[in-house]
Amino acid sequence: MNHKTNLGIRAVLHTVRKWKKTLLLFCLLLFITTLVLSGMAIADAQEEQSEELRGVTGASFTVNANNGYTLQPVTDEMIEEIAAIDGVESYNTSHWTIVNLYNQDTLMKGTDEREYVADLFYGSGCFDSEYSPLFLSGALRLTEGRHVTEGNSGIILYEGLAEKYGLSLGDTLEIKNGNPGDPLVECEIAGLFEVIADDNDEQATMARPSTFYDYEEYVFVDMDTMSAISAPYTASEGNGITSVDFFVSDAAKLESIVQEVQNNTSIDWNSYYITVNNEVYERISSSLSDTSTLVTTLIVMITVVSMVLIILILFMSIRSRKREIGILLAVGIEKYAVLLQQMLEICLVAIAAFPLAYLASREMAGTLGTLFGKAAENVIVTPQHFVLVTAAGVGLLIIAVLVSCIPVMRMQPKAILSQME
Amino acid sequence: MSIMEVKNVGYTYDNRRKVLRGINVQMEQGKLYAILGPSGCGKTTLLSLIGGLDSPTSGQILFEDQDIAKTGLSDHRKNHVSFIFQAYNLIDYLNPKENVALTSKLPPLPILERLGLTKEEAKRNVLKLSGGQQQRVAIARALASEAPVILADEPTGNLDEDTARDITEILKESAHKMNKCVVVVTHSNELAKQADVICRLKRGELQVLDRISDTPKARNGRRGR
Repeated sequence: MNHKTNLGIRAVLHTVRKWKKTLLLFCLLLFITTLVLSGMAIADAQEEQSEELRGVTGASFTVNANNGYTLQPVTDEMIEEIAAIDGVESYNTSHWTIVNLYNQDTLMKGTDEREYVADLFYGSGCFDSEYSPLFLSGALRLTEGRHVTEGNSGIILYEGLAEKYGLSLGDTLEIKNGNPGDPLVECEIAGLFEVIADDNDEQATMARPSTFYDYEEYVFVDMDTMSAISAPYTASEGNGITSVDFFVSDAAKLESIVQEVQNNTSIDWNSYYITVNNEVYERISSSLSDTSTLVTTLIVMITVVSMVLIILILFMSIRSRKREIGILLAVGIEKYAVLLQQMLEICLVAIAAFPLAYLASREMAGTLGTLFGKAAENVIVTPQHFVLVTAAGVGLLIIAVLVSCIPVMRMQPKAILSQME
Repeated sequence: MSIMEVKNVGYTYDNRRKVLRGINVQMEQGKLYAILGPSGCGKTTLLSLIGGLDSPTSGQILFEDQDIAKTGLSDHRKNHVSFIFQAYNLIDYLNPKENVALTSKLPPLPILERLGLTKEEAKRNVLKLSGGQQQRVAIARALASEAPVILADEPTGNLDEDTARDITEILKESAHKMNKCVVVVTHSNELAKQADVICRLKRGELQVLDRISDTPKARNGRRGR
């Protein structure tokens, strides 16, 4: 039987019998790891929030027909080609006209009995009404039914108007342009909206500068319906659309997507031009970037300060164990075994501290996240964070032990023991 | 046949102070060597060089005719020599049994008991043992090692007369009965009297005598006149 006190036994005995030092190191590792894990969860929540915000800022670019003598409409082929580009989420156009609505041959009137315009509605043709500026800006909100898109035709109107005429989803109305003799087009009620913004809300009225139309008198129809309504007035090919808004899934990628559209499509850019609409993203991007920088800086600072602190503590610990190292070397223990013992000791402490830090950070991260304006339930410490921190932590600790041991290991055992005596 | 040979060894501190000059001595198994000399003359330095705790500035230390600088000082310390220090140099978080087991695979208790420690003392924290007991643990650690050379630096320096006598006896036995080459640095005439060979170090030079009362046998390797 081998009775030798090998490095493993020495490491365990030191960890157990020098329990005050062990406890100090354990508490330090627990504290630091908990902070780093929480920081990573906050950073992830921040990134998630940024991504989410980038997706909902309504960042878009508009392809416009050139404002020259030979106005070329935006064709369906062009729209399909651009919509197929990666990162383009949806598209819409703003095709507006004045319409009359008929319910069972009765000319419908708005909810407000206004002079001149009481029986006129402001009709918008949409590829996807969800991306209409009025819905995007929050001026209007769909309360029932669905949005109208290509393939999902219908009409969306104000819920108060539907109530006035006893209409509900699925009922059929007839719609026509404002002039006598224009064709009547049948359409089914697909959705109802409520008005959120008031008439004075400047941002909400960005769709059109008209101020005398009430939002309650807006209706939205799919592009096929709009084409049928506008047929007498559309001489050119397609729908006579002169501009289309393309919405991107990530506002941060808007510029590169626009470049791709300009460089990698068959569109003749002498007849069209692009305008970029990312005001909302521009407004929030600097604050998003500031918060991200703050969180990242804090995590880096915590990690760096922690590592410096641990290296200092290990330096002091190694210094106080210089004599022990000298003795071990003098009695013939190899340098690598002395180093491995030190590494093993810190790993034993880390094995206990890291899982506990994981559990602690799962409890704490949410609370810490609220300090950075994050919802507690969005700040989640994941097993991936734990694996990453454990791997990086063990690596850094081993480096710290090596760095701390270098000065002692470079000395001859006699020099170490002489210094100690 | 010598097991250790110090060949023309010199040692200089900080590239200025020459402590040892052209030291030559051969050491055999089964003998107790005592290195004597005034304080600061380089006794402990010489012992450290023989034990591979440091490297000489010039010359060679040979173990079985192999230069220890070439075979490796760490290997020399591990396999060829074992140390007994004046300050005991025990590891404070290991008990006597565990300290002895640092260098040996053999069960440590029999050797500790042979050196006068009880079973209870063998499990106690080393810092709670008396100086004599700690020195016995240090000797046990050296004896338990299978190394053929035992190097002892003032092993009785901090001990009372009775304990010092016991320790001297143990070292003598190690040389004569266990066939070890025991090299002791000492100020003690009592210990020196028990030695088979006396090496007197003075002003960096070594005189080798057969007994403490003898005239010099050799001075730095040369025959005495």
